[in-house]
Amino acid sequence: MTGTRRTIDAVWKLESAKIIAGLTRMVHDVGLAEELAQDALVAALEQWPESGVPDNPGAWLTAIAKRRAIDRIRRSQRLERKQEQLAHELESSALPVEQDDVLRLMFISCHPVLPTEARAALTLRLVGGLTAAEIARAFLVTESRIAQRITDAKRTLAEERVPFELPQGPELASRLSSVLEVIYLIFNEGYSATSGDDLMRPGLCLEALRLGRLLAELAPHEAEVHGLVALMEVQASRAAARTGPSGEPVQLHEQNRGRWDQLLIRRGFTAMLRAREVGGPPGPYVLQAAIAVCHAQARTAEDTDWAQIATLYQALAGLLPTPIVQLNRAVALGMAHGPEAGLALVDSLVDDPALRDYHLLPGVRGDLLVRLGRYEEARLEFERAASLTRNAAERAFLLRRADELPFAGASGVTLGEAVRDFLAREDLDAATIRSYGQTLRRLCLAVGERLPLASLTADQVARVFTTAWGGAAAKTWNRHRSAVRSFGAWAALTDLTVSVDRRAETRARVSALGPPQLDTLWSGPEFSLRERTLWRLLHESGAGPGAVLSLNVEDLDLDDRRARVGETWVNWRAETARLLPQLLAGRTRGPVFLADRRPGPGRMPTSADLCPETGRRRLSYERAEYLFKQATKSLDPAGDGYTLRQLKSRD
Amino acid sequence: MRYLMMSKASDTDTAPDEKLYVEMGKFIEELTATGALLATGGLEPSGVVMTSRGDEITVTDGPFAEAKEAVAGFALVEVRSKEEAIELGRRFRKIVGDGESVIQQVFGP
Repeated sequence: MTGTRRTIDAVWKLESAKIIAGLTRMVHDVGLAEELAQDALVAALEQWPESGVPDNPGAWLTAIAKRRAIDRIRRSQRLERKQEQLAHELESSALPVEQDDVLRLMFISCHPVLPTEARAALTLRLVGGLTAAEIARAFLVTESRIAQRITDAKRTLAEERVPFELPQGPELASRLSSVLEVIYLIFNEGYSATSGDDLMRPGLCLEALRLGRLLAELAPHEAEVHGLVALMEVQASRAAARTGPSGEPVQLHEQNRGRWDQLLIRRGFTAMLRAREVGGPPGPYVLQAAIAVCHAQARTAEDTDWAQIATLYQALAGLLPTPIVQLNRAVALGMAHGPEAGLALVDSLVDDPALRDYHLLPGVRGDLLVRLGRYEEARLEFERAASLTRNAAERAFLLRRADELPFAGASGVTLGEAVRDFLAREDLDAATIRSYGQTLRRLCLAVGERLPLASLTADQVARVFTTAWGGAAAKTWNRHRSAVRSFGAWAALTDLTVSVDRRAETRARVSALGPPQLDTLWSGPEFSLRERTLWRLLHESGAGPGAVLSLNVEDLDLDDRRARVGETWVNWRAETARLLPQLLAGRTRGPVFLADRRPGPGRMPTSADLCPETGRRRLSYERAEYLFKQATKSLDPAGDGYTLRQLKSRD
Repeated sequence: MRYLMMSKASDTDTAPDEKLYVEMGKFIEELTATGALLATGGLEPSGVVMTSRGDEITVTDGPFAEAKEAVAGFALVEVRSKEEAIELGRRFRKIVGDGESVIQQVFGP
């Protein structure tokens, strides 16, 4: 970027929210307003390198954007008197920016009609002035996806005719909480990056802080706004202290408090005081901020007032009774009243399906176990936590904690080793191995793969079943059950599923789809080539979806229209034969049906499920079933959608 | 990133007028609202100079001959880029008129 371009970019980021807000007031369409503002930016990019940066660059951009808006109004509408008059009035006045316009813009970009991810992207775009590329980098997704998200969001706002207004009365509270949620989401994505290699992305934290501070000026009579700002300022004050030299996380009680940013802490305290001045019963952000303030006030970790923090968490749990709040409360209880107290609460959470894949649950449990001297169990918990987190720095940290614990020595073969040997058996076909693998991998994640095989109990297995598959269909439940039984028998363990009852499978409605529904599926232009091929193949072959999804390119005999699956053959007819070569597009090996995206780091499937040419993984049964269900919802009179099995031809 | 902007005393003798105060107040309010301004303040013209040489530390009270070189005020801003800091500095200079400011990035804590 040249110097002028950088200057333009800086001016744009400072001014764009105001410009877009003012234009939205003029044209009543935030999408159009943003386009017009972009036009002004383009004009600046064309002219400033030649003419130099104007004296008042913000005013220049505003004037150009306004001119474009007037042109647009004149051009696009029939020249009715009223429109002409409007254009004339606008021409003779300054851009009609009102004090609250940027606040109105925030309410629009965080509107509940939009999906949460879109709200965050749109807010960064419209209020933060970030480009799609910058947002994409921050969230580690592709630029085109962010651009698409923003386009969709703008279209939704236009279709829903979301007005440019300040919500009033009872609506205000819910709309405001949506804005706060978006800002905190942006902050958290920066503060504890959920994926990727770095633990923090400071740019996002700063954006969220700016948005929060701005909101606090625009809506000064809302205690929760100040609460959120206080929370973010105090959390951000620890940024430098919470990562070690090689990027590993440093836990709060081990942080060098001298590296906490006192300026931000003071700002946090000030925001907290403003929240108190507003008054009213404390909301969730004020309570979380109060907890953060408690930590900030402690000069050393030992000085922390854990009893007070535990009380605050209890109040928070009353407002937000989520398992994550309970987990934090358990940490506070463990510090205030001893590890047993904390562990008792944590143990009541382990069966909560919402925390099934949440790495901090085993992490916290491991901590408490260490303090109780139960090192063997603690080690397993840290390893489980490591296998659940998607953040590389955190994974390394957890594994190190596991390794540091005293290890009682060889206690025979571990669960993980046994599972690997079991799945490497020669006498099982690919589909069975895939199915068993799915069950046993979940078992390993849930109890830890380094658990000595001999100590795996039927009780543990029963808990895994309840947490992981409690809500699944009877058939799925029974499939997992028989996988574990088969594994147990092979490993010569006593019956592992003694506490897992076989569930009665009610005869599910497996009636095949009729010709009218099929016709709609075959002719629907909105379905992708992959979906059409898969559905045709299922229909023509009558084979099970699991078998068809397990097909590899090498298995296909395109000339004879058949493929080998285990001991049998899958046969297809003309339509599949026509579609398959298009789908393969020259690929010679790997899974036939591929997922849309490459797997994320830490989610690498085995090489058998990975396409060596595209790097993408095999399409999963769950995903394929979900897509089919979505696609057929409108065809099903009950509105539920159909299952892939129902594609099987009637004859 | 954070930048510290230090402004030197202007060499004109005219006292700041009412208009400047109003504009400055508005500017500071706006910067605070957008979350960019973290801290700001004016500095007394005299001050103290401390010099250390070997074990000896000398303390000298102001005022000093080179009044023009003395920093008269500062602003600590949190921005996304150096250009943004410069743009804010530009706006500040437009309000205060003739004189000089220095902008430097702040590292740490």
